[in-house]
Amino acid sequence: MGNADLRDVAAIEEVSFDSLAGSVVAVDAHNWLYRYLTTTVKFTADSVYTTGSGEEVANLVGVVQGLPKFFEHDVTPVLVFDGGVTDLKSDEVERRREQREKAEERRKEAAAAGDGVEAARLDARTQRLTDTIHETTRGLLDRLDVPYIEAPAEGEAQCAHMAARGDVDYAGSEDYDTMVFGAPRTLRQLTSKGDPELMDLQATLDEHGITYEQLVDVALLMGTDFNEGVSGYGPKTAVKAVKEHGDIWGVMEADDVYVENADRIRELFFDPPVTDEYDVDLDVDPDIDAARAYVVDEWEVDADEVERGFERIEESLVQTGLDDWT
Amino acid sequence: MFKAIVSASTLRDSLDAVSVLVDECKIRLNEEELSIRAVDPANVGMVDLTLEAAAFESYEADGGVIGVNLTRLEEVAGMANADDLIHLELDEETRKLHIEVEGLSYTLALIDPDSIRKEPDIPDLDLPAEITLEGAQLNRGITAADMVSDHIRLRVDETDETFHIEAEGDTDDVDLQLESEDLIALTAGPADSLFSLDYLKDMNKAIASDAEVRVELGEEFPVKLHYEFAEGLGTVTFMLAPRIQSE
Repeated sequence: MGNADLRDVAAIEEVSFDSLAGSVVAVDAHNWLYRYLTTTVKFTADSVYTTGSGEEVANLVGVVQGLPKFFEHDVTPVLVFDGGVTDLKSDEVERRREQREKAEERRKEAAAAGDGVEAARLDARTQRLTDTIHETTRGLLDRLDVPYIEAPAEGEAQCAHMAARGDVDYAGSEDYDTMVFGAPRTLRQLTSKGDPELMDLQATLDEHGITYEQLVDVALLMGTDFNEGVSGYGPKTAVKAVKEHGDIWGVMEADDVYVENADRIRELFFDPPVTDEYDVDLDVDPDIDAARAYVVDEWEVDADEVERGFERIEESLVQTGLDDWT
Repeated sequence: MFKAIVSASTLRDSLDAVSVLVDECKIRLNEEELSIRAVDPANVGMVDLTLEAAAFESYEADGGVIGVNLTRLEEVAGMANADDLIHLELDEETRKLHIEVEGLSYTLALIDPDSIRKEPDIPDLDLPAEITLEGAQLNRGITAADMVSDHIRLRVDETDETFHIEAEGDTDDVDLQLESEDLIALTAGPADSLFSLDYLKDMNKAIASDAEVRVELGEEFPVKLHYEFAEGLGTVTFMLAPRIQSE
């Protein structure tokens, strides 16, 4: 998820969804889908998204809920799926797995004790992306003609790379690490009801008078998905220390602190595993009927649950905008 | 600098035309007239309004721009009877608008114009057909269409020289046919476009039933609706983007 304390370092401002019309966003797919999965699972009866053979496809409800927002605002999403996990992150993955298992245990206890609310909350946390979720999410995107690509490793790194190359206008992720991976402009809260917020790399650097390399060092001191961070180094202290001592090596020497694997993690942020081998067709032409049949007939999701979303997508396709004539 | 006195009905007619599309807008206080241009967040409907200085009891302005919360301003204007005069004065220091209505003083906080959605460029369209009819006729067609559908089709039959307001519902259909003698004026041309009723209904609400509405129409093109208010001293143009007709 990245370190939320980075928020205090980042230059962030709210932007209106309307102002994004015509832009392309590389969306960190797992991050995006996760938000919808947790809310769907929390607020919807599981019978709605479970097939006769017991396969859970809450993701299909999530995708149909999440995409209309892009269509309605004339924003083209390119969904970027995580590839293999990098070695460094395996600790984080392991930690998440442990957390999930712990939550699963507590969920069972809560359910047994008749505490439905607590069980539902914990249920959300025990969500993971199954093979079926992977397969059906792509299956639905195919029918809706929404482009997606497979990242070699971290999705947010690939999003940042595409944004930095200028192939897309924005990276889209809740994860503050996306900026540390070098995304010039990152949109957050794409899944929220209101307007998204824009995290701007250059504005962040200007605000603190630091270089991009120094920002990475600040993040390392504060902690990232790949390291713990150094106790006592919050946003202010970390920025100050890096400015004063030039880089993380200077800080480690002057303050007598240690960041494990610092060279490897820096290298990962500077030069993450990403691919240039993508060819996305931004001319999106959804086949709503095929998508509806896939979700409702093939995967047995309650039609009522997805009808509104499909209608919104359909509506956004037939209604033209005045800007088409200027 | 801005200081004006205007009748409540004229102010309300102006605000109503804009508030069907947006909640906030920029008002340009030019020397000779007040003007507002706004587009709704979805970029589907646009309004372009001008109210000449002569429409006011008194009017002094020097080209400033203010941002207002329309809902609030409408509420304040709603406190007056139609014939009451409303006094407006901009306080440059505090950036507030002082409003006086029959002994009631209201200080309206203004919105930073830069925070309001950019005023739209007006599409430069040369539309082939032009229909002039009464507000009441348009209203009748829209009301009928609304009974059966969410969409409305505006069409000119070039051979018969007729204007059609039509709607196709799931089960029922309506067609209001207006012959050229029913209309105030008709320039026939290839014109057939489909529109969202939600928008057209709202725009129609702002148009008085005795107003002359000039409709400019094309094939799968935006429609323009022009009308006047305040005895011809106020003009409004609505523009509405079409829906793609599926067959």
